[in-house]
Amino acid sequence: MIELTDVHKSYLIEKNRPVHAVCGVNLHVDPGEFVIITGRSGSGKTTLLNLISGLATPTRGKVTFSGREIWRLPDRQQSLVRNQKIGFVFQFPSLIPSLTAEENVMLPTLFNPGRENPQEAARRAVALLEQVGLSDKRRAFPRQLSAGQQQRVVIARSLMNKPDLLLADEPTSDLDEQTEKEVMALFQEIHSQTKITILLVTHTRELVHYGTRSLHMVTGSIDSAPTAVSAAA
Amino acid sequence: MNLFKVIIRNIEGSAFRSWVIFFCAELMAGFLIAVTLVIGGAQDSLRLAIQRLGADIIVVPQGSEAKMENAFLMGAPARMWMPEGVVETVRSFPGVEAVSPQFFLSTLRGASCCTVPDMFLVAYDPQTDFTLKPWLTEHLDDGLRLGEAVGGYFVYLPADQEYIQIYGTDIDLKGNLASTGTGIDQSMFFTFETARAIAEGSLTKAERVLEIPSGSISAAMIKVRPGVDPHLVAQTIQETIPGVTPVESTNLFRSQQTYLVGLLRSVAIITGILWALSLVLIGLVYSMALNERQREIGVLRALGSTRLTVLRSLLGEGLLVAFAGAAAGIALFTVAIYLFRHAIIQVLHTPFILPAPLELAGMALGGLLLVLVSVGVAALVPALRISLMDPAVAMRE
Repeated sequence: MIELTDVHKSYLIEKNRPVHAVCGVNLHVDPGEFVIITGRSGSGKTTLLNLISGLATPTRGKVTFSGREIWRLPDRQQSLVRNQKIGFVFQFPSLIPSLTAEENVMLPTLFNPGRENPQEAARRAVALLEQVGLSDKRRAFPRQLSAGQQQRVVIARSLMNKPDLLLADEPTSDLDEQTEKEVMALFQEIHSQTKITILLVTHTRELVHYGTRSLHMVTGSIDSAPTAVSAAA
Repeated sequence: MNLFKVIIRNIEGSAFRSWVIFFCAELMAGFLIAVTLVIGGAQDSLRLAIQRLGADIIVVPQGSEAKMENAFLMGAPARMWMPEGVVETVRSFPGVEAVSPQFFLSTLRGASCCTVPDMFLVAYDPQTDFTLKPWLTEHLDDGLRLGEAVGGYFVYLPADQEYIQIYGTDIDLKGNLASTGTGIDQSMFFTFETARAIAEGSLTKAERVLEIPSGSISAAMIKVRPGVDPHLVAQTIQETIPGVTPVESTNLFRSQQTYLVGLLRSVAIITGILWALSLVLIGLVYSMALNERQREIGVLRALGSTRLTVLRSLLGEGLLVAFAGAAAGIALFTVAIYLFRHAIIQVLHTPFILPAPLELAGMALGGLLLVLVSVGVAALVPALRISLMDPAVAMRE
């Protein structure tokens, strides 16, 4: 499903001063895997997810998702792939402040050219909010929700268009320990129910047991060979 | 849910930006419509007044040109006299097709014998008149008879009265001329015969006598033959008849027209500055607001929004608010111009006519479009910058 071959990504923070965020990464992820990538801040985890989703372009190497290099596609097709095939959970508060929880969950349907009818979308959004335990918060605005609740709404939103791949970037970094466990359990539940492929990056090594495989990144490179983790966390 | 709903929610969510754009658009459109109504209306007013007077040249006593213009422009009563022999002299000039004398009179101020104080009165000679004749032929079969008058657009009968009393004489108002927006709208027109009857009646019925000096007239209205240059005729009059001044219709209200051009220039500069400042402010506020929402835009792109959708959404937010602001500004300033029209005329010392509803609608639409285009251009640069931004970069900033 995901194939990275000798991928490099450099940023220019100042003239002639490139920062090598990702250096020579090779990665293969099969459909249905729940891969957890750990690493310290600045190790290139977020950049890796951006490269996979086509939100960033590699400086060198090849990144394919379902056999296609997303970043090479025209804007409309790139957007379509992200909209229909990939769900995103970000580390920062990413709900649109002016929309309710339910509207935020429905947001991805807005960018889908063959969108389902609004009643069906609303019904699905409510069902997803129910799945993440927030059916009573559908009319709440993000400012009325706790950080953990906001992240649950984001997870619901990421599943709205029934994607093949879920990319989660430090989804628990702003959460307390208890909420972190709940959110991670939710990922696990979603994975076991839908068999969706999940790539989750975190700086907390203790979370690796939630996935089916873990990787560790150090200064832009994957530290060691992929490690299998027991699916039963 | 649809994109429009998201746009509306974002407008509500960015209150500061929305209000700044609203007020800027309101001011821009309001100022534009106000300037168009006043300056355009003033120019229309002068044009209609010249048409109403209907003469190619007006001969008045030397030094009375400004008084005559002020009378026709602002309705300020003016009295001036010159020998009636001027009419016959002018009639003998080659190129002159018609000459008609007029008396300029006025009602008394604060006198019970005049229903209307300080009204400019014009008496004409029905035998030679060509200025009122077209209107009279169209509206009154027999023209005006003794004791009858036509009024300007704003002349009306006082409540519960059948006549307008002038120097104690009852005058029957037979009709009203179309609006010109000038003093003509507040003036009254009747024949020499009526004027003389009023003067005679004033001896016994009025608080003061209306004097019409024998053998005198106030002005001579001149029409030149087709193909003849009025300037040449005016030149001949100037050189031949002492003590009078010929005023060509093209030079009529010249000082007023010059004043209007000056006013227009000043207002154009102020409007330009106002527009430029508003657009810079809108661009800045838009830029600031979008910088704050950069991460949000990145998220939208990650969720599958195309660059074009982001651009449409961002511009839509600005244009919708600008539309509301411009519409409010146009409505507000138009109502204000209608309500305070007389005060504005007094302050600017310039009469102006208001356009017909359809013409006003056209102006409003034009103003609205101009504001929308301008706001669109001001918002385009920041909106384009952010919609073209790499989503990963947008989310990281």
